[in-house]
Amino acid sequence: MIMKQNNELQLIIKHFFRNILGVAGFLIVMLMVLSAIFADFIVPYDPIALNIKERLQGPSFSHLLGTDQLGRDIFSRMVMGSRVALQVALPTVFGAVSIGFVLGMIAGFGPKWLDNAIILLLDTLRSFPTVMFALAVVALVGPSLETVIFIIIVTSIPTYGRVVRTQTLSIKSSEFILAEKSMGSSTARILLVHILPNIFGPIAVLSAMEIPTIIGLEAGLSFLGMGVRPPTPSWGSLLNEGYTLIRNTPWLLIAGGVPLIITTLGFTFLGETLRDAVDPKLRKRN
Amino acid sequence: MLGYIIKRLSLAVLIIVFAITLLFVMIHSIPGDPVSTMLGPRATPELKASLEERMGLNEPLPVQIAYFFTNAITGNLGTDVFTNRPVTSIIGEQLSYTLMLIFASISWSALLGIFLGCYSAIKRNTISDKILAVLSVSFIATPSFVVSLYSLLFFSVYLGWLPAIGAGDSDDLWDQLIHLVLPAFSIGLSWVGYIARLVRASMLEIMSENHIRTARAFGLPRRWVIYRYALRLAILPTITVIGVGMGFLLSAAVFAEIVFSRPGLGKLVIDSITTRNYPVVMGSVLLSTIIFVVSTTLSDIINAMLDPRIGRQL
Amino acid sequence: MGKNKIEWVKIPLSRRQMLKSTAAFSAVMASSSFSNAWAQSGSTLRGRTYADMRSLDPAFSQGVSDEEIHACIYNKLIQFKPGSKWEWQLDAAADIEQVDTTHIKFALKDNIGFTNGFGAMTAEDVKFSFERVADEKMESPNKPDMDALSHVEVTGEREGVIVLKSPFQPLWTISLPYITGNIVSKKAFESVGGRIDTEVVATSGPYTHFSWEPKQKTTLRANPDWKGEKVAFDEVQIFHIDDEKTAEIAFEAGELDFTRVSLASLERLKANPPSNSTVEGFPSLYYVWVGMNLNNPKLSNLKLRQAIQHAIDVPSILEAAYFGVAEASTGIIAPGLIGNRASNKVPSEANIEKARQLLKESGESNVSLRISILNKQANVTTAQIVQANLAAIGISLEIDLHEAATFWELGGNENLELVINRYSMTPDPYYATSWFICEQAGVWNWEGHCNEEFDRIHKEGPGELDVGKRNAMYQRAQDIMEESGAYKFITHEYTPNIYRNSIKPALRPDGLPLYRYFQRS
Repeated sequence: MIMKQNNELQLIIKHFFRNILGVAGFLIVMLMVLSAIFADFIVPYDPIALNIKERLQGPSFSHLLGTDQLGRDIFSRMVMGSRVALQVALPTVFGAVSIGFVLGMIAGFGPKWLDNAIILLLDTLRSFPTVMFALAVVALVGPSLETVIFIIIVTSIPTYGRVVRTQTLSIKSSEFILAEKSMGSSTARILLVHILPNIFGPIAVLSAMEIPTIIGLEAGLSFLGMGVRPPTPSWGSLLNEGYTLIRNTPWLLIAGGVPLIITTLGFTFLGETLRDAVDPKLRKRN
Repeated sequence: MLGYIIKRLSLAVLIIVFAITLLFVMIHSIPGDPVSTMLGPRATPELKASLEERMGLNEPLPVQIAYFFTNAITGNLGTDVFTNRPVTSIIGEQLSYTLMLIFASISWSALLGIFLGCYSAIKRNTISDKILAVLSVSFIATPSFVVSLYSLLFFSVYLGWLPAIGAGDSDDLWDQLIHLVLPAFSIGLSWVGYIARLVRASMLEIMSENHIRTARAFGLPRRWVIYRYALRLAILPTITVIGVGMGFLLSAAVFAEIVFSRPGLGKLVIDSITTRNYPVVMGSVLLSTIIFVVSTTLSDIINAMLDPRIGRQL
Repeated sequence: MGKNKIEWVKIPLSRRQMLKSTAAFSAVMASSSFSNAWAQSGSTLRGRTYADMRSLDPAFSQGVSDEEIHACIYNKLIQFKPGSKWEWQLDAAADIEQVDTTHIKFALKDNIGFTNGFGAMTAEDVKFSFERVADEKMESPNKPDMDALSHVEVTGEREGVIVLKSPFQPLWTISLPYITGNIVSKKAFESVGGRIDTEVVATSGPYTHFSWEPKQKTTLRANPDWKGEKVAFDEVQIFHIDDEKTAEIAFEAGELDFTRVSLASLERLKANPPSNSTVEGFPSLYYVWVGMNLNNPKLSNLKLRQAIQHAIDVPSILEAAYFGVAEASTGIIAPGLIGNRASNKVPSEANIEKARQLLKESGESNVSLRISILNKQANVTTAQIVQANLAAIGISLEIDLHEAATFWELGGNENLELVINRYSMTPDPYYATSWFICEQAGVWNWEGHCNEEFDRIHKEGPGELDVGKRNAMYQRAQDIMEESGAYKFITHEYTPNIYRNSIKPALRPDGLPLYRYFQRS
């Protein structure tokens, strides 16, 4: 049994690293994570230190991407922005996955009325127009990192909840669970021992695939001025400043947009390859 | 089947009522009110109170919600706080811009996406298929508002080829089309990738099915078989996906409308929520929720029709 | 036109000067009128407004953006005169004279009529228009500007007397030439129940209201029955574009003829203006300041407030947030208006040494505060500079962003600490002081500033007919504000406009357009 699992894992890893895109995605994600962790050592300047005399300068050797309206080094702010992106992405995925897991499993395994109630809740959350919901929440509690995380969690719960529910339903009716049941196993045991591990794969893949959406959403909210508080740099707020200064300097837009695109691409490549690697059917096909 | 449809539809109505009620409570519980925005700094408390009374804001919230729904059923969404015009006509004006944008985005991306998808399926596992695959993923992954910003920066600000703002002159069709190019491009780009992938996958699946193989065995030309059978079948899931996508398109349109200063539902919502223009906010929230729920419900039903297994599951 | 039949009983010096320049202005207009004759065929003026039209009823006008339209389609007794000084000129009035401190006689021109067959403009229309704004039942948000009105006495078909409850000098700078001065047709308004929204019933100005496309534009057309000075354009289109950046792009694409531009672009546009266009800047009347809530225990220490006053460096703010083009302000009353101060008591430049000293004297330590701002780029930039300034003396500051509706609710919030605020202004000092009296505390006086002397100045100011004395009173009022330690004045901002050389804009001294006087060059 253990042998078999090891083989499976080896197969997944082997397949993963055969795929160029997967490797590229992996490298991009690593780069992003490392720059977020070691941002303090990478940045040439304090990303929030003002230097009004040197504001709105073009790229030079001292300022690789120039300076913003307050004379802050754009490159340093860009590097620091990766930290905000991760600070939002990780807790959000964790929060949304855990809540989605619980709701989805209850829906899939619980009584019919509870299932219906949860479906209603998930579908309601899903049909909230995201921007309006975000506007209302931000107006209610004010913009901050926590607010952004909350908004994105609420809007992404339905995605996970639905996947978990469908998976639970299909596993629940599979023969080995029916056999377990007839042997008198408790619901909790079935959930923890059989269903949880089986749903884990698809959810892990889904999480990797959702991260780019989440990072994009955070940037979108910050772009609308509903994200992190100033002077904290985020890619979205760089884009926001870049939009208002679009005729003065393109560098703010470049510093906010390019890493955002690269990161979302990286996570998407990673997620896709991971999905193909985990799914034996797809592994064979490609 | 009929039972499933009825069940799905009543769920849709429930979701709408539920979502609207929640948002109604949320929006009314945030600080700020239309009365002070409307009357400006010079309003006396008495003036505020009397206006609040006229707008029904002094009623308890459940009563206001009940009013809203009973009026909404008869097609009355109230009147704009500031101009006293009916909300339905305000939304009607703005909705046409958003629908035009969504329609333009989805049209070009569906055309190109289906073409690229077919092409990849036919050229399966060649270099161009692989390049297209990477491009498709990249298109999907790039947030549409970044595409908006960059196309604004590049095509309008630097090259000056296309107009940067607005929806064009309302009685000049050509002008309106020109103004649609950049926003429709930005929204549609990720859908090109999405549709191309989907069409490729369903084409491959269908082409491996028996009757296609049989047709080919009969010596029918390959191209003919592809266009005659495979493409037709492959487009079905695409339509379903576009149905589900309506809601996401609405969100993408919000950003495009902001970046390109286009009139539209998204801009209307943002403007009215910041002025706490409750009737307009609730009217547009209701409408976009309905659009979203109806399109997902329809695609669920279509899916169920295509795949009877789902029908049994629910 | 009736000649001057009435002797001026008491006329302030400045007013006499105004009349003189008005006469000179009419002469210029007369001589230039023949040159306008050719300017009649197929011409369109395309301007821009930052807010959508909200009402065509002057009583419910929402401010500048509505007034820009109203001023074209309605007439007033007197209008602002385009130019660099705040002056007025005759419009619907053939004559207007201040008989004494509370009586103003007027005679209407006999060639002004309302559209849609509502007949000639009479003194009854003036009475109706002014009294409806002052009428409590009307619930007009613009009532304060007509509050001093007792009634209008109709003495002839086209003659009447405006009777005030008490002397009110802002009548000449706000009430008559601005929003509340618009004269509507009594018959027309009564035929539709006394008020209108976004549909006109009858207008009398040189332009008529042709159409309104919500969120897009308002179109005005030359009034064929207009008997006054011919207008230069067949059509005026006012586009609603809220963002200045966007408006600039539209201008450069040839989609606008006149617009305000952003400060960020001023330097670039000045150095390299689009072909055949002119960029011009105007000092605006807005006032921006950093306020401190006196009712918040965290800010009850005067020395602490003074430390903050001295720590904030206005020149840096002007440089970064206002792109180095706006001037530092000395208070709430802009240069060119009665009551403007030549200098601040607390200098605009930061004095870190003094600020540190004051903080030490205050005995406060580990101060951490919050500044609330409206979510606009200039505010965000300003707040970050204030944050850095306060950090320099060891005060930590958190920036709290608000969207418009929540921000404007903060006035009543006891927990408010620091705030960046910006109020609009009309060309009379009484308008500025009205927000900072005790009665307004928690409403529009967010600092909770309450001073007996200040309130007395605000109360007596409008009745003071001596310009010199009035000047001194309002200067003193701003001293009081500054001494409270609750204010650090930033700027009156700046209004840069851009226009095509094919037109000759007619602007108020603060750069706002008076479209009815725009000419073709």
